Amino acid sequence: MTDLLANLALGFSVAANPYNIGFCLLGALVGTLVGVLPGIGTVATVAMLLPITFGLPPVGALIMLAGIYYGAQYGGSTTSILVNIPGEATSVVTCLDGHQMARNGRAGAALSISAIGSFFAGCVSTVLVAALGAPLTGLALLFGPAEYFSLMVLGLIFAVVLAKGSVVKAIAMILLGLLLSMVGSDLETGAGRMTFDIPELSDGIGFANVAMGLFGFAEIIRNLEMSAESREIVNAKISGLMPTRQDLIDSSGAIARGTILGSILGILPGGGAVVASFAAYTFEKRISKTPHMFGRGIIQGVAAPEAANNAAAQTSFIPLLTLGIPPNAVMALMVGAMTIHGIVPGPQVMVKQPELFWGMIASMWLGNLMLVIINLPLVGLWVTLLRVPYRLLFPSIIVFCCIGIYSINNAPTDVVIAAAFGLIGYWLVKHDFEPAPLVLAFVLGPLMEENLRRAMLIARGDPTVFATRPISAGLLLVAFLLLALAMLPMIRKRRDEVFVESEN
Amino acid sequence: MSEAKSTPRAGGFQFKVRGPRDFYGGLALMAVAILAIVASGDLPGQSGFAFGPGTAPRMFAVLLAISGGIIAVTGLFMDGPEIEPFAIKGPSYVLVAILAFAFLIRGLDLRIVKIPFTIPSFGLVISTFAAFLISIMGSSEMKWVESLIAAVAMTAFCVGLFVYLLGLPFQLWPAF
Repeated sequence: MTDLLANLALGFSVAANPYNIGFCLLGALVGTLVGVLPGIGTVATVAMLLPITFGLPPVGALIMLAGIYYGAQYGGSTTSILVNIPGEATSVVTCLDGHQMARNGRAGAALSISAIGSFFAGCVSTVLVAALGAPLTGLALLFGPAEYFSLMVLGLIFAVVLAKGSVVKAIAMILLGLLLSMVGSDLETGAGRMTFDIPELSDGIGFANVAMGLFGFAEIIRNLEMSAESREIVNAKISGLMPTRQDLIDSSGAIARGTILGSILGILPGGGAVVASFAAYTFEKRISKTPHMFGRGIIQGVAAPEAANNAAAQTSFIPLLTLGIPPNAVMALMVGAMTIHGIVPGPQVMVKQPELFWGMIASMWLGNLMLVIINLPLVGLWVTLLRVPYRLLFPSIIVFCCIGIYSINNAPTDVVIAAAFGLIGYWLVKHDFEPAPLVLAFVLGPLMEENLRRAMLIARGDPTVFATRPISAGLLLVAFLLLALAMLPMIRKRRDEVFVESEN
Repeated sequence: MSEAKSTPRAGGFQFKVRGPRDFYGGLALMAVAILAIVASGDLPGQSGFAFGPGTAPRMFAVLLAISGGIIAVTGLFMDGPEIEPFAIKGPSYVLVAILAFAFLIRGLDLRIVKIPFTIPSFGLVISTFAAFLISIMGSSEMKWVESLIAAVAMTAFCVGLFVYLLGLPFQLWPAF
């Protein structure tokens, strides 16, 4: 306990440095700014803004990125409530009741409860990340290559189970992601793999290009298909930002339950934040005395998923910081950012760079505080931004993405690759394939292959090693059970219902 | 003879694909997998206990081919939605805009079938402006005056942010 306090104190001393507070504030601000834009999700926002952190010192850069991440999430909720366009999967549920509240003239209450819920969840999960960080790092020492490989298999299976639609299609996306990640020079022998003798491919395909193409460009192309009428902004003046005492009483339980659910689900690899918000909403509806009010603008329906997705967003840092495994696409971008700054994510970060590790954790809390402070007064500004017509917004986003990708390596080829992935992403959506599992597999691919090869070498070519080592066997068993469950007709039906509910 | 005409013939070339999204999606994935297998064909595979550089790509490519096959077969026999039509105008302009940015910013020096094809390097200002204008033409609601003003504003914003504020080493103006 004293350790924890000492560590947190160290963290806050780093985070409270005026520069770092500035970076955090700036990150949260621009994160919200971009996140508010309809159709731009968290992944695209973080990918787009990644380059602006390159010039900063490592700690500042990561703090700013974390700020961008929270800002983008909060911005997504704002769009959900006011325009009924979720920027990304995690805020889909917020649309259900949030937008209804806005139509009933209670947009202010919905926005402030979502901020308060997120802040509370952020406080709790920050402490949780700090408390679990150390013991889990110890766990990482027990992990050999076989265990790492099995853990990543489990993570990918999670992504499959949580993906929308067909299980086989999600598996195919994972395999495609793994294959794409292998393009380029082989790590051990240096042999060029699947490069088709194109020199630009010998370094592999950059992650930011893939993410920007699949989430940024593809999304824009798809949004262009929608007509202007389908985007409806609440025009009523937003008044009464402060929630009433009754609102607070009504939502306090929902916030607490959402926080707990979100914290647990966020640790799981494979995109916990999405499930967290769905699960929290469904749970809240089930235990509510007035379930028929859900979907008609009930405050619990905003509070619970918002708290849950923020808690999950925070706890999803745990696998990244302790095991070095990114559990979702945003964390994968974080890995990219850390690598650019010469930090190898994983258990050694905490030991070798404690000020970075704890500084980042402290800045999580600070970031959440910033969101409450800057966003409530600035709601009016975000609304103005939402009124900018899409025909002017999308070229700006394209230009911004282009410069962003180009600036990573000063390589025009990267921009071309991202454009290609934009078209691929458009095609995937038309054929009901989800890009999220692909991206996760693309990030985990090199790590997975490396550990697979190492494990096989240590076991002298014996593939049973994955089943004979207890931790690895356990992880694979869980993965297998999950997959079997997802395939069962009965569960499949329930799973589809959850997603259908989110779409109505 | 008239009987044969009125009864639709099952099978043969008349077979209808029931879930086109899945069917063509699966086929495309199989094609990618086969391409990957061919492309990694010359890489050394397993030697002794050690994986070669070609082992994992071939392994995953075979798995992808199998799952693509399953998806395609499902699409053949299970009813599924039609493929939504692909828009042409919007995506084309967006694509051209992105490519214009990529080729203008540093210039291009290609040799297509021995015919030299060169674009001088135009720098950030012109490529940003061009990309903005080209992509805005993809929108059906485009207005010229408004677009020009917005393009100038966005270019100024990007130059200010990336070059002056963030200090990224970009070439601003054309260098001939």
